[in-house]
Amino acid sequence: MQAEKRETTMDRVSKGLARRYRRERWFRLFGLSAIVTSVCFIALLFVSIGANGWSAFQQTEVLLDIHFDKEQFDVDNLSTANYGALVKNSMQALFPDVTGRSDKRELNKLVSSGASYVLQKMVIKDTGIIGSTKKIWLPADDEVDMFLKGYISRDVAESARRLNDKQIGWIDQLVAEGRLEKKFNTIFFTAGDSREPELAGIRGAVAGSLFTLAVTLLLSFPIGVATAVYLEEFAPRNRWTDLVEVNINNLAAVPSIVFGLLGLAVFLNVFGMPRSAPLVGGLVLTLMTLPTIIIASRASLKSVPPSIREAALGVGASKMQAITHHILPLAMPGMMTGTIIGMAQALGETAPLLMIGMVAFIVDVPHGVTDPATVLPVQIYLWADSPERAFVERTSAAIMVLLGFLISMNAIAVFLRRKFERRW
Amino acid sequence: MWKKGLTLATASIILASAAVNVYAASGRDYISIVGSSTVYPFATTVAEQFGKTSKFKTPKIESTGSGGGMKLFCAGSDIDTPDITNASRRIKFSEYEKCQKNGVNEIVEVKIGYDGIVLANSKAAPQMTLSKKDIFFALAKEVPDPQGGEKLIANPYTTWKEVNPSLPDTKIEVLGPPPTSGTRDAFVELAMEGGCSKVDWIKALKETDKKYYKSVCHTVREDGAYVEAGENDNLIVQKLEANPKALGIFGFSFLDQNGDKIQGSVVEGELPTFENIAAGKYPVSRPLYFYVKKSHVGVVPGMTEFLGEFINDKAWGEEGYLSDKGLIPMPAEERKQFAADVVALKPLVMSK
Amino acid sequence: MSPSILLLILLTLASFAYMQGKRRAFSLSGPEVGSSRLHSRPGYYGMLTALWCVLPPLIVFAFWMAFSDSILIAMAMKALPTSLQELSADQTNLLVNNLRNLIAGHVAARDIDPILQQVAEQYIGMERISQIALGVVMLVTAVFSMSYVYRRIRPEMRARNHVERIVQISLVLCSTIAILTTIGIVLSVLFESIRFFQQVPLTDFLFGLKWSPQMAMRADQAGSSGSFGAIPVLAGTFMISGIALAVAVPIGLMSAIYLSEYASSRVRAWAKPIMEILAGVPTVVYGFFAALVVAPFIRDSGELFGLNVSSESALAAGLVMGVMIIPFVSSLSDDVINAVPQAMRDGSYGLGATKSETILRVIVPAALPGIVGGVLLAASRAIGETMIVVMAAGLSANLTANPLQAVTTVTVQIVTLLVGDQEFDSPKTLVAFALGLLLFIVTLILNVIALYVVRRYREEYE
Repeated sequence: MQAEKRETTMDRVSKGLARRYRRERWFRLFGLSAIVTSVCFIALLFVSIGANGWSAFQQTEVLLDIHFDKEQFDVDNLSTANYGALVKNSMQALFPDVTGRSDKRELNKLVSSGASYVLQKMVIKDTGIIGSTKKIWLPADDEVDMFLKGYISRDVAESARRLNDKQIGWIDQLVAEGRLEKKFNTIFFTAGDSREPELAGIRGAVAGSLFTLAVTLLLSFPIGVATAVYLEEFAPRNRWTDLVEVNINNLAAVPSIVFGLLGLAVFLNVFGMPRSAPLVGGLVLTLMTLPTIIIASRASLKSVPPSIREAALGVGASKMQAITHHILPLAMPGMMTGTIIGMAQALGETAPLLMIGMVAFIVDVPHGVTDPATVLPVQIYLWADSPERAFVERTSAAIMVLLGFLISMNAIAVFLRRKFERRW
Repeated sequence: MWKKGLTLATASIILASAAVNVYAASGRDYISIVGSSTVYPFATTVAEQFGKTSKFKTPKIESTGSGGGMKLFCAGSDIDTPDITNASRRIKFSEYEKCQKNGVNEIVEVKIGYDGIVLANSKAAPQMTLSKKDIFFALAKEVPDPQGGEKLIANPYTTWKEVNPSLPDTKIEVLGPPPTSGTRDAFVELAMEGGCSKVDWIKALKETDKKYYKSVCHTVREDGAYVEAGENDNLIVQKLEANPKALGIFGFSFLDQNGDKIQGSVVEGELPTFENIAAGKYPVSRPLYFYVKKSHVGVVPGMTEFLGEFINDKAWGEEGYLSDKGLIPMPAEERKQFAADVVALKPLVMSK
Repeated sequence: MSPSILLLILLTLASFAYMQGKRRAFSLSGPEVGSSRLHSRPGYYGMLTALWCVLPPLIVFAFWMAFSDSILIAMAMKALPTSLQELSADQTNLLVNNLRNLIAGHVAARDIDPILQQVAEQYIGMERISQIALGVVMLVTAVFSMSYVYRRIRPEMRARNHVERIVQISLVLCSTIAILTTIGIVLSVLFESIRFFQQVPLTDFLFGLKWSPQMAMRADQAGSSGSFGAIPVLAGTFMISGIALAVAVPIGLMSAIYLSEYASSRVRAWAKPIMEILAGVPTVVYGFFAALVVAPFIRDSGELFGLNVSSESALAAGLVMGVMIIPFVSSLSDDVINAVPQAMRDGSYGLGATKSETILRVIVPAALPGIVGGVLLAASRAIGETMIVVMAAGLSANLTANPLQAVTTVTVQIVTLLVGDQEFDSPKTLVAFALGLLLFIVTLILNVIALYVVRRYREEYE
């Protein structure tokens, strides 16, 4: 009787076993699919941006025989010579049969207005070339660029295209002569912002981002570490400390745009700091990233086992000595990781900067923390809003550069964590 | 605790002012411009040209919106305030007063040209032919009762065909700027009020109850047929491309750049083309302005030269580079007059 | 002598002071006994001397930098003819800028006024004198305070305690910055909000069901009443955040469970950083992605089912935002799941439970408070997110429960109101600050609850 009963229990267990294992497998599959979903999202994001942006790394250039006519130049005033005329003359030489004012205008539109700046720079650099004739690759207009990259179709009606049939004919002729080629887009990496897509680059924005990050790093790392050390090691348990702690945890989750409002009210209006300066951007981002760094640093201080602290105190070190000589070095990798992640956050942040005047058109590459500047994410936001078609691919390309920076920063953080992570 | 806080506050103030002073010691040697996002593409083009061809630095141009720009501009005339503000509408009397109060006594007003406001849809859909009246009936919050009589009912129309039998049978879906936008303001005034006044009894209201008349004509429906789509006109273009049934409202320059994807709707028998807008035939276009602080001319390096670049026919003329960017130039006569005002720095006088 | 060179000299002096202090401590301790008679290690005497050498001149430097320029300018202005002295404050300011540009050698604006030129030269001269004076004063202070400390070095001097005291004070100062930030945030939105509430009653704002800032841009324009009921805006915010959480919580939680309970260490080592990339992608990129890829996709697939989807549906913004906060949920849940004691797992396995049963019936219930806290934190992140919704969500404040419709959020309204074309001091702009305050308070409440829950939970197992 009893044996039978035990058997029925076992029976019941084994009957249910298949179902339970099935559920186990399903659960496991569900977990795996969650991870696969996130990875797919990342892949989709990267692929769609890459597909849009890769073509911006090439730029169409046109090979022209420029004759640096002596007559055009006044030795004392090289910057004001008519460089546009040099370009026009050489285009005219290529297409001698184009006459008529409007046709010439259409023809000259194929070359970027930036071509004359290129020549201007060349002449100022080396006055010796005046009088000679040189073959020079010059940037083509963004419409030509878009056409060669296939964004402007031949099949649409002429009126709906930005290039008319004649211009397309000239372009075909230039391509056939080997005078029109896609080359690596150096301008994109060496120029500041511009209203002409073919002349627009990210150097100004990258420099602005670097200055802003430098200010942020210089302020937030020492302050963050100091605060973490104080709260973790020294602070007496009282209402003041509790207040500070609650505050920091709250600030970590305060929306970034609110920090922008703070920057507008305090740094710009009360302290009267200059608008659009990396200094102010850096200050706002410092306040924003401080909580991240403090929390990471505290966690990393906490993870140092108390035995080390006690051993140091035991051999007669003061509290400060125990911290500076033993605990801080052990906690440093964790703090660095937290700081890098905070910096990556700051690098990608846009919303607070909208409030402090960094949404600006700035051509000159900034040279200091008080020069007007913009940052990469804001540049992306601005370009996304430009009417010229060629800016769409440049927006995606700028996003690729930004993501490149961020991923390498995160990779460094992960590497540091791997390399120095200690399990006690 | 109080003592500590006080010390800290003083310390931070001293440090901050030290930092500011390091900056201030060098003085500002570039022009600072703020203001409307609509004028931004044109002002930046001129600024870039100016920066590359003159010995001065390229001006800094912030896109703050017309109102935000005016606020910064009118905050005072010391060196930290902007020299020029762009506006997609005329300065308001209240703003003018605020300027005067804050010591910005002499402002020079410069009209730079016109911007057409177009209704456009994807090329995949048929081109629309609209009248102002159609626009009003399709987009107003309240329309005259179709049963007749002089009363208003909540807008009952859901498709264009219901508005006007000659229009296609598609749902009314218009992507347009939010109420905070100058584009919206101009659109409402030019297109909707224009259509609204075609209804006789409403037109009569203008004389008797102006406020009510305005509220009838200017209020846009909020039931989802008009989608406030933000100021990013590029995104609107992309959304239109994805959604052939929708219509979008934006500046002419975006139509100009995307002519292969979208088409402008005919309004009152006129296509929104460069020529039509410039000739004043296309009914929905508005002037763009910038305002100059006279006291900064001659103080901030390059001001006179920058203004000279702007009022040059090479820039704002019919063949100028601004027209390539989609700005509709003013007639030669008007240009001449504004150019003369700029050269003479004639201050704006406004009275209520 | 430029400020940076001055600071460099000061630094050199400090290291000299350090050596001197150390040497003196050594020499005082006497050769035969070593340093055992000293109260602190010799380095501390050096450090104390160095600190005293640096800090007082730095304070002098800060004061000098803060005030010297205005004094110099005032002096330069005095030198100008009286006609120029009777200018208004603004004109003076402009004149000063002109002067500064002249001094800095930038391109001068006007043809240079000879008087101005003269004053500028005078200014440059005075500036040089002032800088030399600053250098001298700083050096004197440094040497004086250094020698003061140096002469007071005795073996029984408690040098270490002094140094540690100074360091500790600076630590306390750093930690108060958090408080100052919060005060700054509250003050900066409070004033403008109060101005707004003077024009629009608080109850209208908090309980109004209609959000329509279709307010007049000019006095004679329509709709000049404008209604500022925050409910539709808040409802939109919560809907988008709700969608985001509906995406992020299951995916984030399941990935955390899988990674901590099932995955091999190699999978874990790869999957975790990849998931973290999601957290590292800037929000402006997500916004671009949502507007260009996700929103059209949702609209098209909605059409397939005959559904009427708005181009800027709450669903698109919510989905992408959900993707953004997956890593938040997963890393926070990972922490709490790992904190569940192994004994509880072992107990469950010992009773014959499968892994999934252990997870669902033991670990998740035990970790629930922590998970809830994490979700709340993720929710406050979603509510405050700006760029995704600015680029992908709409602006029309519909009070709707349909996720396929366009809704608007608090952050979108703040941005559009502050960069719009309307007049700045109207309630229309001021309401942005009121919304900012509201946003701050809502996220504050969420955070306080979340932190309370998490803390209570941690205490239970630690």
